[in-house]
Amino acid sequence: MTPTGLRRTLSLLPLLILSLPVTAELSRLGDEVLSGISGQGGIYLSGDISINEVGGPVENSYFGRCDDASKKCGARFAYRLKEDGGWMVLDEIRGNFAFEGLTLRVRNVDSGFAGDGDLFNRDVIELGLPNTVRFNDVQFKIAGSSTARPTDPGFQQTDIFSVEMQGEVMMEGNLLVFPAGNP
Amino acid sequence: MGIQHSLKPFTTFAGGVACLVFSAGISAGMKSLDDSVLAGISGQSGLTMELDLGLTAGRLSYFDDGNGLHLEGFRVGSATDPTGQAFHLVRVDITEDATLNLDYLVEDRRIEFGDIRLAGAPGVSMGGVFFDHSLKGYLNIRQGGALGGSGYTFDTAYTMTGGRLGYRTNGNELFLDNITMNVEAIGVTLDLVGNTLTLDAPRIVGDWEVGAIRYSNNPLTHGVSLDSGTGQPLPSYGSLSGRYELSSRTDITAGGRAGEGLRIDSETVIHTASFLYTDDGNTLALRDIEGAYRINDLRLDVAPDWKNRPALALTLGSMDGDFRIGSIEMGANGKSVGQINVSFLLEDQVFNGRNYSNAIYLQGGGHSNAGPQGLRLATEWSLRLADFSYTEDGNRVIFSGLQSWGQGDVTVNVTRNEVNNGTEFFDGLRVGFEGIKAGYRINGLRVGSEDAPLQGGTELLLALGFYPAYEFELDGHVTLGAGGASGAGITINSDIRIRDGKAAIIAAPYDEGNGEVSQKGLWITELDYNAHVRDMTVDVTEDGLAIIKGEAWSTMDIGNLRVGDKESGQSFGRFVVKKYETGSSMTVIPGGAGDVCAGGMGSSAGECEASGGVWEARGGEGLTVRLRQVFAKAISDTRKNELVWETNRQIDGAGRAVNGTGTQLVLNDIYTSDGGDFDGDGIDDNSFGTRTDLSVDVYRTRVVKKADGADSLGVVGNRGDEKIMDASAAAGYRYVSNPVAQDAENRPLGFAVKARSQFKELSINNIDLVHPVGGAQTAVYGVKMQNFDIKANLTATPIP
Repeated sequence: MTPTGLRRTLSLLPLLILSLPVTAELSRLGDEVLSGISGQGGIYLSGDISINEVGGPVENSYFGRCDDASKKCGARFAYRLKEDGGWMVLDEIRGNFAFEGLTLRVRNVDSGFAGDGDLFNRDVIELGLPNTVRFNDVQFKIAGSSTARPTDPGFQQTDIFSVEMQGEVMMEGNLLVFPAGNP
Repeated sequence: MGIQHSLKPFTTFAGGVACLVFSAGISAGMKSLDDSVLAGISGQSGLTMELDLGLTAGRLSYFDDGNGLHLEGFRVGSATDPTGQAFHLVRVDITEDATLNLDYLVEDRRIEFGDIRLAGAPGVSMGGVFFDHSLKGYLNIRQGGALGGSGYTFDTAYTMTGGRLGYRTNGNELFLDNITMNVEAIGVTLDLVGNTLTLDAPRIVGDWEVGAIRYSNNPLTHGVSLDSGTGQPLPSYGSLSGRYELSSRTDITAGGRAGEGLRIDSETVIHTASFLYTDDGNTLALRDIEGAYRINDLRLDVAPDWKNRPALALTLGSMDGDFRIGSIEMGANGKSVGQINVSFLLEDQVFNGRNYSNAIYLQGGGHSNAGPQGLRLATEWSLRLADFSYTEDGNRVIFSGLQSWGQGDVTVNVTRNEVNNGTEFFDGLRVGFEGIKAGYRINGLRVGSEDAPLQGGTELLLALGFYPAYEFELDGHVTLGAGGASGAGITINSDIRIRDGKAAIIAAPYDEGNGEVSQKGLWITELDYNAHVRDMTVDVTEDGLAIIKGEAWSTMDIGNLRVGDKESGQSFGRFVVKKYETGSSMTVIPGGAGDVCAGGMGSSAGECEASGGVWEARGGEGLTVRLRQVFAKAISDTRKNELVWETNRQIDGAGRAVNGTGTQLVLNDIYTSDGGDFDGDGIDDNSFGTRTDLSVDVYRTRVVKKADGADSLGVVGNRGDEKIMDASAAAGYRYVSNPVAQDAENRPLGFAVKARSQFKELSINNIDLVHPVGGAQTAVYGVKMQNFDIKANLTATPIP
């Protein structure tokens, strides 16, 4: 530090000391000041979602942990379209999805889309698709079942087909969600 | 201790006894000693006065510009004997330097007002206040204040024991019991500057303890710890304790907001403080508190409120301050949740085109059906700006630009279980809300530091019922009863009604830096929300803070779900969410997610990275909220779980959609179950419910560029490049295509939420399509979801 610089620093010291009693004052950075660095809200999400990684909370004659080969460790979703009909089932739902860069924000679309944006001129929820989505052991079965619960009396189930997914999916673009029609 | 020190001037014990004997003769009443008498005893061993004081006054009145405030049923006497007297022993000593030393001992004293009334408000009053204590201490007064000879300087210290401070309305009372307090203030000066009295206390040190906070609904019980009927201890909310060291300066000036009255300006610096709440041996502790606040132009008047009701008016020019709570500890091991910083500015501000200020107009009456005694606080507030930040493991998230405004009546009554004129009351302290029109909003989150860009992230806390912006009209009450799930604690009964609500699920900033703008977002508007809670207990436990709901039901009728502007944004239609829960709970636990494999799988760093994930050691601090929601089967049209989506509604003359005239999709009677009847009572068990654990941390995360070229701040990179924070870069970060280990340590900080949600069984009884003319058609005859365990690791950062 130069002597001049040092003198300046020293001359500032009394000001600093004088200012001590007013440390109670707020010295926040107003949002106006921050205009240059605003990211315009919204979020950029990275992370993963897994379903029944090691099994679900139910342990009975049908469901169990994934290291028990005699039990099912996935989740089960059953519905029926007739009052006394059988049940459509998505069974043994499991897997892990990992992604980087899923964005979520509300924005105005008033340009682009080959001129359609200008005519559209509305606010939309924009889901920015992640660069990559990695699937780890994503699987489920589609089946028909006689009962909603696999532990109900008379339970019978016929598996129709099963799906397994593994690998990475590259994505680009946005998903725009907006109201249409009469609310 | 200072008390013992001050007793030294008394030369001999014998002399003291002689004084006592002498003073016994004057114990029947107070006698003032004039200066000529005291002049003769200067420099001598002093004078002892012993006094049994019993004083009553039917009414003490204070008048301000002709408006009266009356304190009725004033009494000073024994705390234990309603007709008895309080013992006082005062030793007066004047030293050579003309310092007046007062050593005092007060035993078993109660000071109370039976009621407080305002002239012009017949039939209603504020209720009674009582204050019991025994005191031992000293007060030294010498001439010469901070500014010279015309002022005074005081040194004082005292110990208070057996204290009680109570509030009583309509035969029910609530009081702090068994208060112990030590206070020492040395070098307090009192000066008159112009027409302002300045009281400067450079150092006040103290500690305090409240043994219990008790409640009584027995009109025959007054100011005692045991119920006068059963002889049992009155139920307690828990106990409190704390320490503090502060300095303060207060200016008191004559003159109210209009005419007579008082003006108070004050500045207080809290050098250190702690606050502990203890419930059956478990403690919630706020430690290492420090901060400062300043009150500017607080006026005290007896003046009417905006509805011309007589009131004691407290109107504020402004108040600002900032606080830091260094550690919030709870649970058996005293583990810390982290640190909280708050800065605030209460000041007049225009919100939604209307000016709001800060004022409380204290009135008598409380809720109109609770009885004639109670408090009514006609309140207006304007929180111009506040920042609330949470720091854990050294990383910080700031809820930036919090603003709040509102006006309405808050009522306070101590009530008991009864129905009066159709209003249901519960045991406890009832805080009522009447016609409160209010709102709040935050500008966004900033993660890391105050100059970080604004971002979203509150969306990840929706499960906790957190909305980043909310405007509403509020009526209802929250009644805080004594006693928790076991022993001490709090029991809450509540009925809340929100009308014309507008709440944001997703909200963009209201100020991007160029002035206020319409806050764009996903809004629930035209909201009518009715919520009821019965027997919800709040306890501090070995785990943390446990909240257990006995029964809770609510209807959230969302007139429109709008995108964009909350007034004019286009609507997805109407949504009605009905909830009915029994035995649901929420536990707040210190500690966040701990070690996390983000974006991969594995329980060690090696396994995680091999699966493509990033191993994150998120540290020991943080916060975990454990929710259990037990959705019960429907028992009535209001106590059920149901989701309705209605569109294509008819429009009324004012252009508004008319609810109930459109087509509806109804998910009817949604409930959880344990998957069978295991206890053999013929009904499926339902105790597991849906269990959601939310862990909140602030941690570094991987952010990759989504497109080639420049981002919103002009920083150039290629798709897939990683964002690395770099203070030497112009924008504070740069893009790196192949980050090295050191880069990984400079990844951007994000708001990290780890969630795990599981349920054994969740059912929907039926899904109907309802046509306004054709009626309901069932589309799905039952949905049953079983054995779900969903985990999510999500970290929110700003959009690059």
